Order: sequence, then structure tokens, then C-alpha cells
Amino acid sequence: MMSTQPEPLQPSALSKTPNWTKTRWWFSGNRPRLVITTLILIPICLLWIYPFLWTVSAALKSNGEIFAGLGLIPRELELSNFPRAWTEANIGRYFINTVIITVSSVAIVVVTTAMMGYVLGRYRYPGKRIVIGILVATVFLPQGYTIIPVFELISSLGLSSSLIGVILGTSGGSPIIFILLFTGYFSRLPNELEEAAIIDGAGFLRVFWQVMLPLSKPIIATVAIMQTLHAWNDFLLPLVLTLSRPDLRTLSVGVYAFQGEFFIDWGGMAAAATITILPIIVLFLFMQRYFVEGIAGAVKQ
Amino acid sequence: MDDISKITLSRRQLLKLLGAAGAGAALLPHLSFQARAQGLTIPDSGAMLPTDDVTLRWVDSGDQKAVFFREFFAAYEDTYPNINVAYDPLPWNEIAQVVPLGIRNGSAHDVFQVPLSVSPAQAVSEGWVQPLNDLIPDFEAWKAKFPAGVFLPGVTDFDGKTYSFPFTSAKRYGSHLLYNKEMMAQAGYDPETEPLTWSTFREAARIITEQGNGSYYGFIMGGNQINRWADIIRNFARMAGAVGGGGSPVVDDINFVTGEYNFNSEEYIAAVELLLALRDDGSVFPGILSINAPQARAFMPQGAAGMILQGPWNIPQWERDNPEFDFGLSSQPLPDDSDAWPLTISQGGANALWIFSGSSVANVAGDIFHYLGTVEGQTQWASIVGVADAPILPEAIANAELGARARQALTLFNDQIRVGPNPVVKNPDVVQASLELRTPEPSFPQVIQGLYTGQLTDVRAEMNGLQERYTAELERAIAAAVDKGAQVSRDDWVFSNWNPRADYGAADYDAL
Amino acid sequence: MVRQGATIYKPKRQRSLWQEAWKYRWCYVFMLPSLILTGMFTFYPIIASWYFAFLDWSGFTAARTFVGLANFREVMTDDLFWGAFRRSMIFMVASVPLQMGLSLIVAIVLNDRALKLAPVFRTMFFIPVVTTTAIVGIVMSFVFSPFNGPVNGILRNLGIISRPIDFLGGADTALWTVIGVFVWKWFGITMIYWLASLQTIPQDLYEAARLDGATRPQLLRHIILPLLTPFAIVILLITAVGSLNVFALVQTMTGGGPFFASEVMEVYIYRTAFGTGGGGSVPRLGYASAAGVFFGIAVMVITIVQGLAVRRIRTRPIS
Repeated sequence: MMSTQPEPLQPSALSKTPNWTKTRWWFSGNRPRLVITTLILIPICLLWIYPFLWTVSAALKSNGEIFAGLGLIPRELELSNFPRAWTEANIGRYFINTVIITVSSVAIVVVTTAMMGYVLGRYRYPGKRIVIGILVATVFLPQGYTIIPVFELISSLGLSSSLIGVILGTSGGSPIIFILLFTGYFSRLPNELEEAAIIDGAGFLRVFWQVMLPLSKPIIATVAIMQTLHAWNDFLLPLVLTLSRPDLRTLSVGVYAFQGEFFIDWGGMAAAATITILPIIVLFLFMQRYFVEGIAGAVKQ
Repeated sequence: MDDISKITLSRRQLLKLLGAAGAGAALLPHLSFQARAQGLTIPDSGAMLPTDDVTLRWVDSGDQKAVFFREFFAAYEDTYPNINVAYDPLPWNEIAQVVPLGIRNGSAHDVFQVPLSVSPAQAVSEGWVQPLNDLIPDFEAWKAKFPAGVFLPGVTDFDGKTYSFPFTSAKRYGSHLLYNKEMMAQAGYDPETEPLTWSTFREAARIITEQGNGSYYGFIMGGNQINRWADIIRNFARMAGAVGGGGSPVVDDINFVTGEYNFNSEEYIAAVELLLALRDDGSVFPGILSINAPQARAFMPQGAAGMILQGPWNIPQWERDNPEFDFGLSSQPLPDDSDAWPLTISQGGANALWIFSGSSVANVAGDIFHYLGTVEGQTQWASIVGVADAPILPEAIANAELGARARQALTLFNDQIRVGPNPVVKNPDVVQASLELRTPEPSFPQVIQGLYTGQLTDVRAEMNGLQERYTAELERAIAAAVDKGAQVSRDDWVFSNWNPRADYGAADYDAL
Repeated sequence: MVRQGATIYKPKRQRSLWQEAWKYRWCYVFMLPSLILTGMFTFYPIIASWYFAFLDWSGFTAARTFVGLANFREVMTDDLFWGAFRRSMIFMVASVPLQMGLSLIVAIVLNDRALKLAPVFRTMFFIPVVTTTAIVGIVMSFVFSPFNGPVNGILRNLGIISRPIDFLGGADTALWTVIGVFVWKWFGITMIYWLASLQTIPQDLYEAARLDGATRPQLLRHIILPLLTPFAIVILLITAVGSLNVFALVQTMTGGGPFFASEVMEVYIYRTAFGTGGGGSVPRLGYASAAGVFFGIAVMVITIVQGLAVRRIRTRPIS
């Protein structure tokens, strides 16, 4: 909550060229410097993504060739790694599981935290302060080791053998900071639009759904992106919850388990890793703007 | 679960591909699987099997069991089309989580192995498992066919009921020498005619490494699989004279003559120093700390190292997956200037299987256990698995077709392994102490690993530390058991009439 | 309805609490889903783990005994706990400045719109962030493999080493390799934080500075860095907490080994909770919970001390 002004995040602050023209002289005055900077950054960036390039290249090589040399271009294109990884590592299934878990948990988290943040940010009612106090305190409480209680809870609800259990667990983990993000944002919105809607006869629900929620797009983007990263990366919770149901595994757990059994199949492993990593990178490339703004939103707020 | 069988086939295809040159071989394992699965017929045991569609879920520690059970379950499903078997072979550290968590939420596999950290007595007293007596058809007759000592009170039997079925023999050890014949010959040694000693083992490792010139090394092991460090050191030391028990946390590394731990004996210290000498010679594969035992096994046929100390389960895997790999096997290197002592195993079998108390298809599990305990089933096991885990019925070994290496391993085990005393048999209350026992940390294998990596340096001090920690913990466990009413003392670990060179039997217990 | 919004505010009439609550019933309805979710998956687990910390309990069996503070006493005398504590601190102290410092430099360079390829560079730096941690761990165990993995291959080709280095299996290298991969993995997100912060700096300031004849280093020191300070504190907190919670990366790359060399706190807790240490380790959830609570308190204290220190520095007049 560092922002000093109660002003919403500029939607395109990072991605589209803003009014930089004024200051262009400052940085671009020195063309050789720019060229040198670029020349330095290119190898660094290539090195940066080298592990991925190596993985993709290994996925296209035979097992014998992978460790035979350092060249990234395969001498002979070996395409059999992919179908093998797809069927044996069950990547297709895990991928669908992961997408279902991610999408559902993002939906749950965005809606619930927005609702909570809305009433906390804009209304004054009995008990509100206590709720905020507890929420803030929780952020600073020592967490202890919570995986077993979470597991027990999901088991006692009879959800331990379903994706719903994983979705709930993934959704329930960290939304307090999201609630606070929404609270702060809603409390700073001006009242005019809301008033106009009420005059038009809109009820509580309609004001929220049709007026206020759409206004909070920057925070929705932030929360959705942070939750996507969380759900996509989560490891321990899905690991523990799917131990007895291998068919419910997520990608991270599935590929980890695949490694346990197929450790010497480097090509297959690399292919499995490629299949797992590529879609999210492609998604990122297309949604880059939202990713970057969403994350930036967290710190700006 | 179709996926599992697909995995088996393709895994083998893949391993074949890795080893053999031709891609045309890819289809062969598939065909042979079908043929073998069809050749396996399952007789009617008389069990009351369900007629509606059911699924039996089975988890074990895999390895050779996976090889056998994947074939067996395929045949079983063919025989009973309404029964579907979901088989999950998992590493031990996953079993340690899957089984207890599954039991907690009622979704445990119908058949499982109890995690290494949970004692049989604990599993029974916690109500995890159910007795086999009413589940296995003709139970008494079936049980009577096993040699004495397979079913033991406090191990498999509790309150007069039998809870688990160890269907393979414990007569094996996991640290004998397996070597690349070509590299060994080039180094000038032939362990088959003259087993290596500690010093020739070290020398052979050094020469092989030298000849490998960076492309292969003398010795490899799975160093991030922690128990390997204990297995190797313990067996080196026992053969050199630090005789003692092994096979369960209650007796591991205890000398039954004195009832004391062996950790600070000269033999244990010398064995550690031998390993460190190999390291200092540069004779050890450089990546051992980041590979586990199966990975180390997989590196051998690739020609990455000349020698490995592992168990007989390597033999069928290499013979099947890497038919061109020419390897030999021999005893774990023997002490330099004294006669080798035998290794001691506990009475009873290995690979104990249990049936979940909440299982709704326990009869199906009982039917399968029944088959596994018949001469036919045991022979089938031996034929598919070899001696990796020898069947528990001696007839089955005689019946089975075994390769030359398998026979060789059996002879080795018969020569080198004796059944030792078991404190639980002497005094059933020892089980109460074992329930209290917690491995002190850093544990024996962890300390050896730490010495190897150089994080610990003083071998003698560390081994003395182990001796103190383990002794203190054993005493604490005994005291805690006594507090709860058990009649148990350190004397229960002392067997004055024990001769490590002979099997310890019922008569010996009586003579105590 | 009375809203709290900035402009309209009707003075309240005296009403009973119940009437008041009924009036705002929608607010409670709106809180409900979120409260249920956080109650179940945040509050309950925390409280349960505090409770477990006072039990001698494996977590898997029915037998549990209340043992008071015995677990905490044992935690405080366990060398392995303090070893893990120390490594978690090393992890934080090494990774946070590295991650924040390097990403700030890159952010300042990339903040230059004249740099045509800046968006491409930014994307490349960000890619590791979106890839699954557990899979990064696996990929990295290939990359650092001593058996002809590319890193060893390059070092060998360059003649720097003659014998492959077991980066993830070496006592001296395991923790540092994991720290390096951790910084690489999360570098992009810190960089975005910095970029976002940099863009809040009004352009007029640059202009004014130029008119005053400021050089680039001067601009950096006197304008950019001071303006970034409030953001730096937030970024520091986020980064520090992230580095203390590292689990999946260590677990998939080294499992905490060899001989605890890379065992950070989360891995220690996981190992003691599930008994995955091998060689007869016993699962001890009660003990693991105590370690978790104790570590949590320690982190809280560190955060508060840090916060106080920062506040002191900030209230000091700028010279």
C-alpha cells in the first residue's frame, strides 16, 4: 500500500509507449551507448533463456546425442520424444487438470476477494473493523506447518479424491493480501458513478456487478495474474492431495513423478518439460501486457 | 488402469532402444509381453470373488515387483474381466506419505507395503490392516506349506492372527559386486576366479579410472539414496568381523554377542576409511551425490563406471534391457588378511504385503495372496524375476528356469548369509520398545554421506558419536516401553550362544 | 444505505446493533464466501499447526499426546534445525541483494524507451518467472548434471576444469547453485516491480535535472534512487519472504542434500513432518509444527526489527 495518491493504476503505464517523447533526448542522445547496451544485453538474455533452449533442443535429440555435445541444433531430428512423453508421462491429462485448477481458482479468488474488498472498502457496518483487524494480523502471524491441517480438512469434507479439493486448497491459501488490495482500491474510488446507478434504481448487487466491479479491472488483473502464477507453480499442496490419485496430478507434480521413474530417458524428460513450459510461455507472450501490469499493480498499490 | 500397462511396455521399449541399436526392436517387447501374459494362467483358488465390476488398488515399492505384477495383473484381469487392478509402484519415500495419508482419509490402496518408518506392530495396533486368516482360501493348509520362520509372532502374526505375507526370501544382500567384465579384464582382475579384497578392490577402481581417462570411472553408487551408504559400509564391516544383526531398525548394527552397537568398532571405521580412500584416489564417479540407486544402476550399462555394489535385482534388469552388456558378479570385496564372516539376516521373509482394513475388495487381495503363496505362483515369480528377490518357497527356486548369473548369485547368498537371532522372538515385548524407537539424526547413513562429502572429517569421532546416539536412543525407547508396562531390557538383545557362522534356530532359543 | 465514501456521509441515528446489522445484511453476505475460504484454509490451518506444536504426534496415527513445550525445547537444541535456520538466512542474505540489485540495474537500463529491443529483453528476463518451479528444478538438474551436462561441458571445453563438478551433489556448491537458480527464476518479477516503480517518477524531474546540468550518475543518485526508496521497502519485504519460503526448487534440485548442505527451513520442516530422511526416519508432525511456528516467530521478529530500522532511517533528516 505504498501509493501516495488515491489514483488508479494507469492501464497502459508499462506496455504502450507513453509520453516519453519529452525525455527521449536524455537517454537516446547517445546512439553508440545504445548500441553497446544492446550488444551487451543480447548475449546476457540468450544465456538467460539458455536452459530453455537447451531443454527444447534436448527434446529434439536422441538420448545418445543429448550428452554427446553442446550444440543446440540436433544432428538428426528425433521427434519420437514428444509422443512418448505425451502418452507415458500423461502430460495431456495433467495439463487439463492444471488448467482446470488454475482457471477455477482464479475465478473463485477474484470473485470472493472482490466481494469482500468491496464491502470492506466502501461500507461501514458493525464488525467490519474486527474483520479487517484479523485479516491484517494474519499476514504477520507465524504460519506454522499448515499442509497437514489443510489435507485433513479437505479429507473430512470428502474432497480429497477430486479436483475440487485441489481447487479449494489452491484458492484458500493466500487471498488476504488480495482482499486488502481490493479494499484499498474500492475505498479510493469516487462516489459519482455509484450514486448515478442508485438513482437509476440499481440495487446493491447491480451496483457491484455492473458498476464497481468493472471499475476495478486493474486490481482484477493483478489478482488474476498473481493467482495464476500461484496455482501454476503450486507444488506441495497438489503433491500431497493427489498422492493416492495419480490421475488428478498437476503438471508440476506429474512431471516430477515422471522424472522419478524415467530418470534415464533424458529426451523424454526434456520433451515433457518442453510441453509443460511452452504453453505458459506462449500464453505469457500474448498476455504479456496483463502479466506485467498485473504484477506492477501489486507493488504500485 | 490402462495407462499403467502402457507405461510398462513403452518403458521397456524405451530401455531396449537405449541399449540396442536398431529401432526395429521397438515392437518386440510388446509382443513378448503379450505372449508371456497369455502363458500365465491363474487357477481358481475357491475364493469368493465379486461378480460386479470392481477395482483393486495395489501399491508397493516397485522395482522387480513392478516387473512381475504388471505381467501378473494383466493375466489376472484377463481371467476375471470384471476385476480391474490399479497398480502403483512407488519409491519408498513416496510410500511413506501415500500409505499413511491414504489410511487417514480412507482412500488407501487395498494392498500396500507398510512404510519403512512404521513397524508392523504399529500398523496392526493402529488398525491400518486386517488379518488374512479369513481372506485367503484354505488359510491353514496354505500357511502350513511355508518353511518355519516365515510367519513370526510380532512380525507377521499378532494375537494369533496373521496380518502380512512376506512372499520372498530375505536371503540376499544388496551390496555384492557387479562389474563391467571388459573394464575389469583390462584392469587385470578376474573376481570370478578370485574375489576382490579390500585392497584389490581399491586398486581395480584406481586402474579402471586411469584407463577411463575421464570417460568412465572405477566405482559408482547411488549416493543421494541415503540407505546405500549404510548398506555398503555395514556389509564391508560385518564380513571383516563386526558381526551383527540387520534387516530391521531394532537389530541393525547390533552385535548379538554383547548386545552393543558396532558403530565404533575398528571394522566399521576401516570400512569408512576404505570408501574415503576410493574417493581420494579419484576412483569414484563424480556425480554420485546427485543420483539415486536406480540411476546408478542405469549408468553401468552405459559404460560410465566399472564397478557397483548393489543387489541381485540388477541382474534381470540388465539382462532384459541391456542384453549386450557383459557383466559379472561376485562377493562384496573381502577383508584382506582374515577369513570373511557371514552376513546375518533376520528370520522371516521379505516384501511383506498387507491388506488395508478398509478395503472393500479384500477377497480379491486374498485370492492373489493365495496364488502368490502356491508353488505355481512362486515358480512364476522366480521365472519372471529371477533371483532378484528369491521366492520364499525353496521348491520354487528348484523349479524355476534361472540363468547362469542368477544361479551364481544364489550360491553366493547360500555361502555368505546366515539367519541370526531375533530379539522379538526371544521376547515379544521387544515390539513395544521398537514402537518407541526413533532413528537419531544425523543417522548412520547420513553420517557416512557427510564423511564422504567432506562436511564431516573425523571418522573415529563421528562413529563414536553414532555409537552414543544410538545407544542412548535404544535405552530411551526401552525405558519408555517399560513405563508403559512392557517387560523388556537390553538383555533381550544378547544371545550368548550365537554363532555367526551358523543359522540360529528354534533349538538355540530353547537353549538360551 | 450509508456509504463510507469520501463525499457523502450521513450522520447516524441511534439504532440497535441488530437493526444496524440487518441494514447492512448484504455486506455480510458479501463477506461470507471469502470468510469461509480464508477461515478454512488460512485461519484453521494456522491455529491447528500451533496446536499440533504441543503434541507428540506423527500426524499419521491416532496416538497423540500433549507434551507442552517439549517440542520447542527439542527444536531449540537440535543442531539440524539451527543448520537449516542458518542456511535459510544465508539464502535470504545472499539472494535478496543479488536479486534486487541486479534487477534494479537491468530495470534502469530497460526503462530507456529509446532502447528498441527493451520489450524483447524484458520478456526474456521474465520467462523463467512463468515457468513451473518444479520443472525448472528438473531442467536445472539436467543443466548442472556432472555427467556431461551443458554447464560442465562448457567449463570443460574452456579448460577451466578437468574433472566434472557435481554442482548439486557437492557440499560446497549445492546451496549456492540453488541460490543462483532461485535468483534467475524470480529475477524477472523483481525487475517488473522496479520498472513499475521507475515509471511513477514524473518526467518533469528528469527535465528539471537536465536543465540544472545534472550528469547521469547524479541523476541516478539524487533523483531516481531516493524516489524509489518507498518502493524498495515493499520489494524488499516481498523478496525476503519469498526467499525464506523456498521449497519446491530445493526439493526438486537437491532434496536438501548432500548431508543437509542445502537443507533450508521449509525442507527441514517437510522432512521432519513426513519422515523422508531415509534410514528409518519417523514422521513427526508435532515436532515439525513446532519448528514451523518457532521459525515463523523468528521471521516475524526479523521483519519487525527490519521495519523499525527502516523507519528510523527514513525519519532521519536527509543531509
